[in-house]
Parts: sequence; C-alpha cells; structure tokens
Amino acid sequence: MTGTTVAAAAVRPPLRAYRAYARISARTVLTYRLNFALGLFGLLFQLLALLSIWGVLLRAGNTVGGFSWPQMKAYLLIAYGTNAIASSFGDMRMGFRIREGLVAIDLTKPVDFQRARFAETSGVAVVELATTAGICALVVGLAGPVSGPAPGQTGLFLLSLLPLLPLKFCTVYLAGLACFWTQNTFGVSLTRVAVTNLFSGALVPLALLPGWLQATAGVLPFASITATPAALYLGTATGTEALRLLAVQLAWAVGLWFGCRLIWRVAVRKLTVHGG
Amino acid sequence: MSVTGPPKTPLEPAREPRTDPSDPRFPQRSWAQRLRRTVRLYRRGLGAHLRAVLEYEADFWLLVGAAVLTQLVGLVFLGAIFSRVPHLAGWQFPEVVLIFAMVVIAEGIGSLLFEGTWRLAWKVNQGELDYLLLRPYPVVLQVMHADVGLNGLGNLVTGGALLGWALWRVDVDWTLARVLLGLVLFVSAITIKVSISLATNATSFWTFSPFSIFAFAMHQVGDLARYPLNVYTLGIRAALTGLVPFAFISYFPAGALLGHGQYAWVGWLTPLVAAYCLGVAWLVFRTGLRRYEGAGA
Repeated sequence: MTGTTVAAAAVRPPLRAYRAYARISARTVLTYRLNFALGLFGLLFQLLALLSIWGVLLRAGNTVGGFSWPQMKAYLLIAYGTNAIASSFGDMRMGFRIREGLVAIDLTKPVDFQRARFAETSGVAVVELATTAGICALVVGLAGPVSGPAPGQTGLFLLSLLPLLPLKFCTVYLAGLACFWTQNTFGVSLTRVAVTNLFSGALVPLALLPGWLQATAGVLPFASITATPAALYLGTATGTEALRLLAVQLAWAVGLWFGCRLIWRVAVRKLTVHGG
Repeated sequence: MSVTGPPKTPLEPAREPRTDPSDPRFPQRSWAQRLRRTVRLYRRGLGAHLRAVLEYEADFWLLVGAAVLTQLVGLVFLGAIFSRVPHLAGWQFPEVVLIFAMVVIAEGIGSLLFEGTWRLAWKVNQGELDYLLLRPYPVVLQVMHADVGLNGLGNLVTGGALLGWALWRVDVDWTLARVLLGLVLFVSAITIKVSISLATNATSFWTFSPFSIFAFAMHQVGDLARYPLNVYTLGIRAALTGLVPFAFISYFPAGALLGHGQYAWVGWLTPLVAAYCLGVAWLVFRTGLRRYEGAGA
C-alpha cells in the first residue's frame, strides 16, 4: 500500500512542488533586483535604439513598410515584452549548472526536470510582466501615444499571449539542453538571442526582411513569439488568417514541449559529473 | 616617539637594489627597451591564455560563429531600413555601416586582447590579485591579458569586413593626410573603448562583488553608439558625448573622417578624448589597487 503511494508520488509530484519552484524563482529575482534589471538592460537599450531610429524615420507622419509611428511604437513594445518574457532565468543559468555539475542535484529531486524549469520560468515571468507594463507606461509617457489594438482583435491578441510562455520557454530550454553537448553556455546563449531576434521579428518586422529570410522565418517557430502577437494586435492578420496563426503558434508550443522531452532523454546521458 | 618601532621586514627595502646600476639582477633599461619588454611579455601572457582556450576547439567555433551571427543580424536590421529609406538622419548606408563597424571592431579587439579586464572583479573578490602584485610587471597589464574572448575574433572579422566595405563605398578623397587621420582616429577609438572597460571594471575595487554589474551595464549603454548619435534625444547625446564618451568610438571619428555633419570638427578631438579616458582609467585603477587588501585567506 505504502509502497505504491510512494511510487505514485514519485511519478507525479504534487502541483504544489512546482508552485514552490515558481515562488522561489520569483523571490530570487526580487532579491537580486540589480542582476535582474541588468539582464533586461540589453533589451531595454535595444528598445531605446529602435525607438530612436524609427522615431527619426516616422515622426514626420509618413509610413515605412506600412507602419505609422504610433503603430511602430506598439510593435516595438510588443517586441520588447515578448523578448523579455522568460529571458531572465534561462539558458545561462541552466548551462552553468550543467557545466559545474550542479545539475546532478536537480536530478536527485523527485520532480520532473522540464516542468520544474518551466515553473521557475513562470515565477519570473510574473515579475517580467510587471516590469514590461512599467516600461510600456514609460514609453507612452515619453514617446507619445501608441496604437491601441485594432478593432475586434483584442481577444485574439490576448489569446496569442497564452502559448507564448511555453513557446518562449522551450526555445530557451533547448539552448540550455544544448549545453549538455557543448559545455559552452555563452556561445549557445549568444546564438539563441541572435536567431530569436532575427526570425521572431523582434529586431525588425518580418515584412521588411528580404524574401528568402521571410521564407526561412516562416518555417521556424520564432515568428510565433513576436510576429504573431504583433500581427494580431495591429490587425494585419484578421479572420481565418488570424486563426491559422494561432493554430501554428499552439502547434509549435505543444510540439516543442514534447520535442524537448525527447531531447532531454538523450541529453541527460551525455552528462558527466566529476566527484562531488 | 617610540623607540622600538616595528622592525624592517625583509620585503620593504626591496626597492633599494633596483636603483643600483651595478646590480646585474636589475639591469638599467632605456624606455624603448622597457616598452619592447612590456609588449613582449604581454604577448607571451596573452599567448599562454590563448593556447588554453584553444584547447576547446568546439568552443572556438561556437563563440566565433555566435559573434559573427550576432553582428550579421544587426546588419540585416540596417539593410532592411535602408531598403526602404535613402538615409537615416542624414547618414547614408555605407556611412552608418562605418559607424556600426567601429563599435563591432572595438568590441572585438577588447575581447580578443583585453578580455582579462572583465575578470578583475572576480580576482578582487577572491583575493587573486595577491599573486599579480608579486610579479615584476605592471599589475594592470597582468589583469588585462589574463583571458582571451574568442567571440572577439568573430567580431573583429565581421567588423573588419564591414569597415573595409564601408570605406570602399563612402565618398572620401583618400589623400595621405586622410589615411593618417583615419589611422589616428582608429587607434584613438579603440583606446577609448578599452579605457572605458578598464575604468568601469576597476570600480569592483570598491564594490567587492564577484561580477562588475556596473561595467556590464555600461557596456550595454555603449551599444547605443552603433547608430548615428543624432537619432537620439538631446539627453542621450549629451550622456554619450560627455558622461561616458561612447560616441567618440564611432560617430565622431566617422564624422571627422567623412567631413560629414555640422559636428565633424568634434571628431578631431578623438585623440584628446582617448588620452583623457586612458588617464582616468589608469587613475581609477591605481586608486582602486591602493585600496586592495586581499581576501584574508
């Protein structure tokens, strides 16, 4: 009797175990506020540079690539928010734990590794969401009015934010898993940031890219992170096209989640921990 | 007045024989010899660390590739903008690429030759500077050559290619004087970048934290200098010119070389700014080093 209970508990740990992970990670970033803020610094200065550049190009009232100045501001804020989410407790931390062998401690815990990392990411996401709201208010205050959501698109936009967290988590987690092979965290993380920046549309709207890059972005999951929410918000994708984008987004989130689980099984066998 | 003062420790009078010209252990060197020795030892120290990081061949390709990719993505952004508009705040595509490339090259040289600067905070925190203090070579140089950032090679290759392309495409009459001006501006810009890194990292003598958050934050601020300064608001322009002169790494030297914009003359001040930055960095490092008291263990 007792034996089976213990076994069952080991297979599926209670939800509150994961809630504890989320709480602890949120508390960690609130304790090390300066480090957290610094982690967002890169994105913040990217936002500042992009706002300045597009401001020069669009403030006169013209449009570039179909974007007016208030629309571009909205786009850049969505790009910032979708980039900032799940960015703080990510691959660098996981890579460090793999490299130093600390991941062995994570493996001894009776929780699912991927779900535990996802719980941590979710906890931090609450803080990241709050800071993003603050940044949005600041930009509206300093750079003037931002386009609201296109009529009838608010619900679709909010719907597109739901798969965002697992989707973004998976791209970061995949980079973390790569460290089982490479042992090099910095290079992997740099690559991930560059690839995400380009193919999600965070740095420049995908519509402004040359055709072959747009085609590449079309078959990669990153467009679902920034380009999809932005298209729904600005109303460039409506009706069936909007639903198609949402379906693609959901498919990527689910597909990557289970893809990561498969890769994890292979990756964890690569681990060598020296002593302890 | 105390009669029984502390006895002279054998460490203290070590300065004496140095000034004795007849002592063969401390040969008198001319300044040229000293400079050559300094450069040679820097190269040797850096070479040792280079060999160490090259042991990990996969790391090498990963870091170089990641750096190249990062800069290419930045270039795609510029290309996307200039495929729609003819100029950005009065600057044409090759000119903006020139500005962009200068920041990339400065970062590349900083990582490749002076990456140790970024490990100073850790050394102070762990008390590792003790060893460096005992060697007959400037501590600041020992700190700076104590690591090699291979991503710097990627940045240097990409930045160099971009700079070459930009210089080929910009509308400049290449006289000998202009080539010399370009070289002086280039060396000055790199000096400014390295000096800012050193000064900001040397703040860890006061903070004792294992990583210099301030230096990393300033590095991110420096990324703003990738684009023409006149796209920014007045406050940011002033900060990047006077407060932390990142604009003298890219925007002002480019302006002086191209004779472009109403502030082109400011670029002529780049060597002065470089000397100033180097002086401040040296002063901050030296003042910090005097405060250093080891880690106790």
